[in-house]
Amino acid sequence: MRKTIDNIMEIIIFVCGMLSVVFVVLIFAFLFKESFTFLKDFGIVRFIIGHFWYPTSEPPSFGIFSLIMGSVLVTTGACLIAVPIGVMTALFISEIAPKGVKDVLKSLVELMAAIPSVVIGFVGMVTIVPIVKNIFNLPTGLTAFSGAMMLAFMAIPTIVTISEDAISSVPWQYKEGALALGATKWQTIRRIVLKAAMPGIIAAIMLGIGRVIGETMAVMMITGNAAHIPHSIFEPVRTMTATIAAEMGETVREGMHYKSLFAIGFVLFVITFMVNFLADLFLGKNKNL
Amino acid sequence: MVNKIKVKQLSCYYNKKCVLKSLSINIVQNEILSVIGPANSGKTTFLRTLNRMNDLNIAYYRDGVVYLDDNNIFDMNMEKLRRRVGMLFAMPIPLPMSIYENIVYAPKLFGLIKTKSEQNDIVEQTLKDASLWDEVKDRLNFSAMKMSGGQQQRLCIARILAVNPEVILFDEPCSGLDPISTAKVEEAMIELKRKYTIVLVTNNVKQASRVSDKTAFFLMGRLIEIDKTGELFVSPKKKETEDYITGRFG
Amino acid sequence: MIKLNPKLSQKLSYTLLCITVGLAIVPILMIVFVIVKNGLSAISWEFLTSMPKNGMREGGILPAILGTFSIVLCSIIVTLPIGVCAAIYLNEYAKNNLLTRIIKLAIVNLAGVPSVVYGLFGLGIFVMFFRLGVSIIAGALTLSIMELPVIITTVRGALSSVPHSFREASLSLGVSRWQTIRHIVLPNAIPGILTGTILSIARISGETAPILFTAAAFYVPHLPHSIFDQVMSLPYHLYIISTQIPNMPKNLIYGTALVLLMMVLTMSCVAIIARIYFRKRRKW
Repeated sequence: MRKTIDNIMEIIIFVCGMLSVVFVVLIFAFLFKESFTFLKDFGIVRFIIGHFWYPTSEPPSFGIFSLIMGSVLVTTGACLIAVPIGVMTALFISEIAPKGVKDVLKSLVELMAAIPSVVIGFVGMVTIVPIVKNIFNLPTGLTAFSGAMMLAFMAIPTIVTISEDAISSVPWQYKEGALALGATKWQTIRRIVLKAAMPGIIAAIMLGIGRVIGETMAVMMITGNAAHIPHSIFEPVRTMTATIAAEMGETVREGMHYKSLFAIGFVLFVITFMVNFLADLFLGKNKNL
Repeated sequence: MVNKIKVKQLSCYYNKKCVLKSLSINIVQNEILSVIGPANSGKTTFLRTLNRMNDLNIAYYRDGVVYLDDNNIFDMNMEKLRRRVGMLFAMPIPLPMSIYENIVYAPKLFGLIKTKSEQNDIVEQTLKDASLWDEVKDRLNFSAMKMSGGQQQRLCIARILAVNPEVILFDEPCSGLDPISTAKVEEAMIELKRKYTIVLVTNNVKQASRVSDKTAFFLMGRLIEIDKTGELFVSPKKKETEDYITGRFG
Repeated sequence: MIKLNPKLSQKLSYTLLCITVGLAIVPILMIVFVIVKNGLSAISWEFLTSMPKNGMREGGILPAILGTFSIVLCSIIVTLPIGVCAAIYLNEYAKNNLLTRIIKLAIVNLAGVPSVVYGLFGLGIFVMFFRLGVSIIAGALTLSIMELPVIITTVRGALSSVPHSFREASLSLGVSRWQTIRHIVLPNAIPGILTGTILSIARISGETAPILFTAAAFYVPHLPHSIFDQVMSLPYHLYIISTQIPNMPKNLIYGTALVLLMMVLTMSCVAIIARIYFRKRRKW
């Protein structure tokens, strides 16, 4: 009797362990299936490099190049802001801050990660957007730049937490060795700690990028949603995620437009899969330190 | 003289590195066998093989047979084997619950005891056998984590006794204890010999000479010598044994 | 370039670090400040407990609060047992082999899939294929899959913080593996599992994109009756009133944002404080 319970539980546990794999495969297969006919009919090359996203005109045009550029621009902008701030904050938390400050900062970062993206989007709309509009004297403040600023804020918690892990897992012997040779604490941090933790920090940055590319609500609320290829960071742009979120409600089920949004989802899935896979490789490297 | 455990040609490997080389040894019922030897001599591996604790380690691989009352332990159900062959670890590991719950934990799961009075009986009996009853009888519901090291180790002995084993394995049970606690644990061990067969792995040569009936000396994964404790310490037959017990190495 | 003296350069760098930490932390305080300052006036008992009126420009947000509550509750009921079991498998049973590596990779990638892609998946599988329609249950299941990797990771952390020696002690008595997990490992991991769960609940309460096409409705004039109903949800409601409705009174938007923010932050704070508390009085 007891033996049977044991066996049943172990089977359930094994099945649950496998579920994650099942879900990943299912998501991939499903997105692939939904977008396959569309990609075949419209042509994958035309889809990726086509400049015009006019899904509802006659004949429709489903080129997502401008959307990709929108995502790339916003993501790059966000990373330029978030990476230095994030990595330096992580350094501060794990190497310099005294115990009490450290705990408070870590909790704050955790709280930061919990703020819903709609709230960030909304706050961006009422603060950053008018400021950007006035300072740079633009026709609208809904630009890639405003989006990048708010998204940077969302990437920071990810970057901080994971780099902080990497930095604190640098063996203390490394640091003692350098300090014993008479290096200042800062020299030790810069030359030894940063170098040893680099793979982990790169992984943290990649995961931050992954988070920004996939971000939807805040982007949709602040970047202006104009589907054209941007020439500067002060123009409205539209990202892939925002396109899916904004247009899915208006499509005809199983129509071309509907399928094309799944195809965008498929592209996004592939991109984030690769980003996460790479990040995981770097994290693995960090463990072999 | 009944041989409780018979080890035949036992070899053990970690990651293909051989740590025990074709070991054959007999362990007599109701005796204490001490296993002594320097670090990395395979003592602990030997002990952990006897109740198959090493089977949890995936790097571990073994060859040969061990009989417990003429049954090969590697064919036995692992849980049943461990109930018959209990083990005490180097550091005391009380489970994070009260003294009382520590003792009734396993018997309750096995369905050995059902009523409250049976539970009380087993707690009292095992604590007495482990020479701990007088010290803790008034605070059975206190957390076991708050006891002293020596008390914890004796509680662990009581916990093993509660599942009614036949053999008890001691893995350097006093390495973390002060001399007084050590004396108490040793006292308990000698008492236990009447009912159980005991294998004691120890770094402490004096401890081996104090408590055991027989002593085996291991070196680099080989059994060098096994003899009555008196004989081995007074007139060792091998040079390595003599060097070790006189403290010339190890 | 002038070579700075090491002491001076350390001082300069520390100052710079402090400034960047400020840059990271000040925005969160700003966000909270802006929302609290402008939203507090909208909060009243009536705002929290009545239906929206006049095209949502008046009245309260009760259906949105209840909607979010029911979606999150359903989803955590589904995710938690699965996540705990999966974590037990990885932490207690899995051997160091290819299968385990694949599972870990799957979890990492599941955690990285964009939320809007989960929305697409939920739309295709739960809403269309299983014909659940746009409903609480479809949204909850979508969120469940999205939350699974987070739950697995936190539960694994909680399990591995239980010392290995406890497992050995229990196994050495002849107690089986599952019984050891059930009676020794899980009870001692409960605090960690609990705090992790509260944190995840906080996080999914604010998710919008996954429920956009699977559960959320623009406006529903009544409270949900069953798990197959469409519902309003707090984050989606905030999105709608802040972007889609012209002449929306500003203080109602801030009020809604405040309710959402406070819900999420309170839960997170509770989890963080509980974690500190449990760590302090841990028995080992």
